[in-house]
Amino acid sequence: MLNRPLATALAVLLALVLVACGGDDDTAAPPATSTVTAETSSAAEFPVTVEADNGSVTLAKEPNAIVSLSATATETLFAIGAGEQVIAVDDQSNYPPDAPVSDLSGFQPNVEAIAGYEPDLVVAAYDPGELVDGLEKLNIPVLLQDAAPDLDAAYEQIEALGAATGNVEGAEKVVQSMQVEIEELAGSAPGAAGATVYHELGPDFFSATSETFIGSVYELFGLVNIADAAADADAAGYPQLSGEYVVSENPDLVVLADTKCCEQTAATVAKRPGWDQIDAVANGDIVEADDDIASRWGPRTVEFVALIAEALAGLGQPQ
Amino acid sequence: MMLEARDVGVALDRVPVVEGVGFTLEEGGWLGLIGPNGAGKTTILKAVAGLVRYSGSIRMQGDEVAGIGRRAVARRVAVVPQIPVIPPDTTVLDYVVLGRTPHLGYAGSPGPRDVVAARSALARLDGAHLVDRRLGSLSGGERQRAVLARAVAQDASLLLLDEPTSALDVGAQQQVLELVASLRADGGLTVLSAMHDLTHAGQYADRLLLLDGGREQATGTPHEVLTEELILRHFGASVRIVADAETGIAVVPLRPPVEAEQAVS
Amino acid sequence: MTSAGGLRARFPVRQGRALRGVSLRWALAAGVFVVVAALLGLALGPVDLGIVAVAREVLSHVPFLGVQSSFSETEDAILWELRAPRVVLGLLVGAMLASAGAAYQGVFRNPLADPYLLGAAAGAGLGATIVIAYDVGGDGGLDLRPLAAFAGATLGVAVAYLLGRSVGGRETTTLILAGVTVAAFFTALQTYVQQRSADTVQEVYSWILGQLETSGWTDVLIVLPYVVVSALVLLWHRRLLDVLAVGDDEAASLGVPVARVRLLVVAAATLGTAAAVAFSGLIAFVGIIVPHAVRLMAGTSYRVVLPLSLAFGAGFLVLMDLVSRTAVAPAQLPIGVVTAFLGAPFFAVVLRTTRTVGP
Repeated sequence: MLNRPLATALAVLLALVLVACGGDDDTAAPPATSTVTAETSSAAEFPVTVEADNGSVTLAKEPNAIVSLSATATETLFAIGAGEQVIAVDDQSNYPPDAPVSDLSGFQPNVEAIAGYEPDLVVAAYDPGELVDGLEKLNIPVLLQDAAPDLDAAYEQIEALGAATGNVEGAEKVVQSMQVEIEELAGSAPGAAGATVYHELGPDFFSATSETFIGSVYELFGLVNIADAAADADAAGYPQLSGEYVVSENPDLVVLADTKCCEQTAATVAKRPGWDQIDAVANGDIVEADDDIASRWGPRTVEFVALIAEALAGLGQPQ
Repeated sequence: MMLEARDVGVALDRVPVVEGVGFTLEEGGWLGLIGPNGAGKTTILKAVAGLVRYSGSIRMQGDEVAGIGRRAVARRVAVVPQIPVIPPDTTVLDYVVLGRTPHLGYAGSPGPRDVVAARSALARLDGAHLVDRRLGSLSGGERQRAVLARAVAQDASLLLLDEPTSALDVGAQQQVLELVASLRADGGLTVLSAMHDLTHAGQYADRLLLLDGGREQATGTPHEVLTEELILRHFGASVRIVADAETGIAVVPLRPPVEAEQAVS
Repeated sequence: MTSAGGLRARFPVRQGRALRGVSLRWALAAGVFVVVAALLGLALGPVDLGIVAVAREVLSHVPFLGVQSSFSETEDAILWELRAPRVVLGLLVGAMLASAGAAYQGVFRNPLADPYLLGAAAGAGLGATIVIAYDVGGDGGLDLRPLAAFAGATLGVAVAYLLGRSVGGRETTTLILAGVTVAAFFTALQTYVQQRSADTVQEVYSWILGQLETSGWTDVLIVLPYVVVSALVLLWHRRLLDVLAVGDDEAASLGVPVARVRLLVVAAATLGTAAAVAFSGLIAFVGIIVPHAVRLMAGTSYRVVLPLSLAFGAGFLVLMDLVSRTAVAPAQLPIGVVTAFLGAPFFAVVLRTTRTVGP
């Protein structure tokens, strides 16, 4: 015969234990942009069909030998928790640093070399013509994810990779945290709306219009992209401007995406003839962006947005 | 003595093309080089003009040709090539003035005197009316006159002619040879020519040199050198030599005898 | 018939004039063309500064005229630090390519010869590509492309020359073939290097297509002495190019040191071309279009063709650059595309109207 207080205490204790155990399953996830431990609910998610730029792709089971030929996809795979499933990445995939870099080329892919790794999923951003066909002939599933035109498309690509690799939750978390952070950053500089920006891809004045992914980032802040006037000149959105046009447009913000390839810095830019007349130069509103971050459309986009937000916060204040 | 050649040899690509050739040519004379194709006639002309290396000795007015500088040679020797390069859009005057080049500095431009020399050279060849014509619009005979005029404008004392009549019709052939003869007659011009037409060679040259296989085979006056036997031996042709006061000397080709034809077939 | 030795006696000196060089009419036309082209190049561009305002700005620098400029500092910078050096570079490069083209046509007696014949373009392209692809000198922040292009161009021609000569090549055909060989080889190397470095392909391609965008007056000042010296040497030789027209053998019999002249002319033309392409990339067709146009209009003698090619080439390239800057403004077209676009049909016209092909 248990006396009542003891039974109640036991019941409460049992209930607490049950609640504590059950609670583990839906406690908060670890920080958003770092790698997430893989959820092991994959059995329920396969076979799965995802949409990519090469149509609908069906995967029968969870892939464990993923080859990535896209630097952006590599970053995404590791961010959503599929890192351990990746066996090789292309020679341009330099982030994260511990990704298994190989000699495979994302620009001139060699189907045989790729097949040599016996992958069960290949992710690529570029098909010169025979990549997808070649891999399909060998029955290797391939996801083609071209450069995303805007953030929504980028989110879709991340979610697709999540579904394809059995990391749906991981992908959702990444997307959610990106959305939250970007929204926050975008609203952090309301005074900057209407300011003009010049995004430089190379010292010969190649730029990116608002049609491009990186151009859409500037649209978030309500910035006006001076390259848009030349939008007709290049179908993909990367026209070559002339020096005198940039000078005369007098952009409020200059973003250099050629710091790694071509050693451009605020200092080198200030030395260009006529450039001392530009407000951005005079006020030191020059962003030296990492070429890679500025040219990819993966999770690190948040870093780029943060860079811009920071620059906009101090816009127009001479240094 | 305008030219004295002794034991001249020329090798092209290390193959001897001319060997042991010697001759003399007095001022104002005309020496004709005759021989079958490939005998070395053009090669000897080139050696005299200093355009190829030779062994032995070629002395021009006492000086060894190999030792005289290129421009100095050009002031003494004018060459009329067998197939001259004719830039079609150049005017005749501009072309003839080219002959003055050896008298100008390294990159010098022709002056009024040079233009005068060119015009008078053309006039001497009855070509004054051709002055402003384009070379491309001239007939064969007119062209040859322009080429000769260029050589004359050079003011050289020795004229080298390489097969001067090969591309011309009968009338033009005569015209050219008569012009050269009259230039010689006016004085001051010595002629060394390579000729394939034996009759012309016999009619115009004072002396002939017969070459075959790069070697000297006979020298002398046309009557001495143009014999049926020599021609048969070195040209493989049957000819009849006709010599009289009016024609001078003529070499008439004969068709081979009928028996030989039947033997062949 | 004149008497012996009395060649000149019969013709009074007053009948002889020096042969006509460039007539006054053509000299004036050329001068006007250059000036107008330069002014247009200064006045027009992707940024509309206003022709009248530009004129006033230019005149305001002429002393004693008392003209005031209405330009802001920015406009001043655009005109004098961006457009003016670009126009001057265009004049220099255009003059160089056109006169080098004419010189090559004379020296090789080939109407299709251009300054890139002996491998200068292929060599320059290889040099620039190597610097771009392997990021040579990048750490020091130096732009080594011009130097590498210059070295590559001169190396290419030197190799072609050595190759052509060793094959017993006083003959121009051998030299040309050697040049084609060298160009093919260097181009293959250049393509290989370019493809090995996928992320710089755009920059390489851009450089090769040509541009007159400058880093300011320093670029111009570097190119200037090369072009001046080269142009002077070529002009000095224009009479000899006329003599070379009758072939190596005949020219030699006229006392011309043919091999030496060819070497000097090629060396001078190459040096100037190398300096020009070092900064402007491989702009095609100028070396062919301009000399041929001059021949059609003013005659075939190099007394006339060389100086006029110099002047008309200068103006021509400035106008081409104007098109490349304004046709799709504010974007730019690579200038090599513009000259090729206009060059090919022009070439067809030249072929149809010349009765005989020959320099």
